[in-house]
Amino acid sequence: MIYLKDIKKSFNQQPVLKGINLKIGKGEVVTILGPSGSGKTTLLRCLNFLEKPEEGIVQVGDIQVKSKKATKREILSLRRQSAMVFQHYNLFAHKTVLENVMEGLIVTKKYKKAEAKRESELLLEKVGLGDKHDHFPSQLSGDQQQRVGIARALALNPEVILFDEPTSALDPELVGEVLSVIKAIAQEGITMVIVTHEMSFAKEISDRVLFMDGGVIVEEGSPLEIFNAPKEDRTRQFLNRISRDFSVSFLEERAN
Amino acid sequence: MTIDILFIWTAFKEIIRALPITLILTILPLLAGFIIGLAVALIRINKVKFLSGIANGYVSFFRGTPIIMHIMLIYFGFPLLIDQISKKFDLGIQSDSIPIILFVLTALSLSAGAYLSEIFRSGIISVSNGQMEAAYSVGMNSFQAMTRIVLPQAIAQSIPNFTNIFIGFLHTSSIAFIVSQKEMTGAANIVASTNLKFLESFIAAGLIYWGLTIIAEGLSFLIEKKATAYNRGGVQ
Repeated sequence: MIYLKDIKKSFNQQPVLKGINLKIGKGEVVTILGPSGSGKTTLLRCLNFLEKPEEGIVQVGDIQVKSKKATKREILSLRRQSAMVFQHYNLFAHKTVLENVMEGLIVTKKYKKAEAKRESELLLEKVGLGDKHDHFPSQLSGDQQQRVGIARALALNPEVILFDEPTSALDPELVGEVLSVIKAIAQEGITMVIVTHEMSFAKEISDRVLFMDGGVIVEEGSPLEIFNAPKEDRTRQFLNRISRDFSVSFLEERAN
Repeated sequence: MTIDILFIWTAFKEIIRALPITLILTILPLLAGFIIGLAVALIRINKVKFLSGIANGYVSFFRGTPIIMHIMLIYFGFPLLIDQISKKFDLGIQSDSIPIILFVLTALSLSAGAYLSEIFRSGIISVSNGQMEAAYSVGMNSFQAMTRIVLPQAIAQSIPNFTNIFIGFLHTSSIAFIVSQKEMTGAANIVASTNLKFLESFIAAGLIYWGLTIIAEGLSFLIEKKATAYNRGGVQ
């Protein structure tokens, strides 16, 4: 399904990915954890060539692209294998909620307008926004915008959906709404790669967890292995720090 | 010296007959400039090989020199060029037979293209990169992403700037008078000198320009409100 071989990427001579090898099977839900600057978002963006890797092979579905001699046409067909949900939603600002979901169907899937509309309405119903068709993104709250983003991704019926920190820009109280929508679609067997900072969510939803640090995959395993018995020091330190933050904020809340 | 208030109205009626020429000299160059400007902006943003050098030079020259100079260069230069080419290839075109207004329109179009290209460029740059990425992520190619997602937003955001250019070119069209195009300022000059009532004539012309500008601003305001409603929570 997804196959990465020796992916390397640097920004201004600063290596960000130092040779990533990865295989992800059909229907697998993989979360990528790691401190900021570890390259997890860059890795995700290499999967649809929003970042062009300098070296290595990217394969999604049946489309395989060698980074060094990727043509525009290859990149386009690679991108059509996947859909992405962005940290800052990136909904098309000048289009209504319904049009946002229809856009991909009309342009890339060549649906007729009426057909695209019917399909999009169903998807919006599914993410709980059946009553917001004619709203513009600027009229929606963060979690509503992100649920439109998820509907837009689902509409493409892609081989894999890439989630780039889908809840990082949301108010804490709104995170739950979005996570439950993602959980629901995970159960439908869609392949997903998720970069997140939500530890309990990752634990619950993942088939496999990758821990990245310094541009390499330090450790991977089932959520149970990673969260309960991490083998690597760096993983352990990261999880400790996160859980300490979590308990401190919990205590602070109690104190208040 | 006294002022003949009543003559202002007489002059007004005479000058406004030249309004069509003024509008032609304003609107046609802007339409041509719209296409030139868009093309130049896209060439510069995408750093198209070879062409972007030409585009840079074009914008630099036409924004770096007064419009009156463009009119002069083309009015005096083009006939020379056309006659030379015509002679060489035996085309039988006489530059005298080309209406002067075509030279003026060419000059104004080229100037408008240079100014508008910078408006397009700033509009396109102002649309956040995430919009382009989202378009790519749903499988659009660069052309589709540009025409369906980025340009509509860039153009909507640029409406106040377009109005600015429109008003500027409305007033700039008055310099066509120097190559004897009888637009409104030219008409005012003629009315003024034949009746020896300069102040009255130019007050009348000024009122017409001002009125046109107010109408343009009003229209722009309405269009802008509608076109950018998406950005203000749908409030029109």
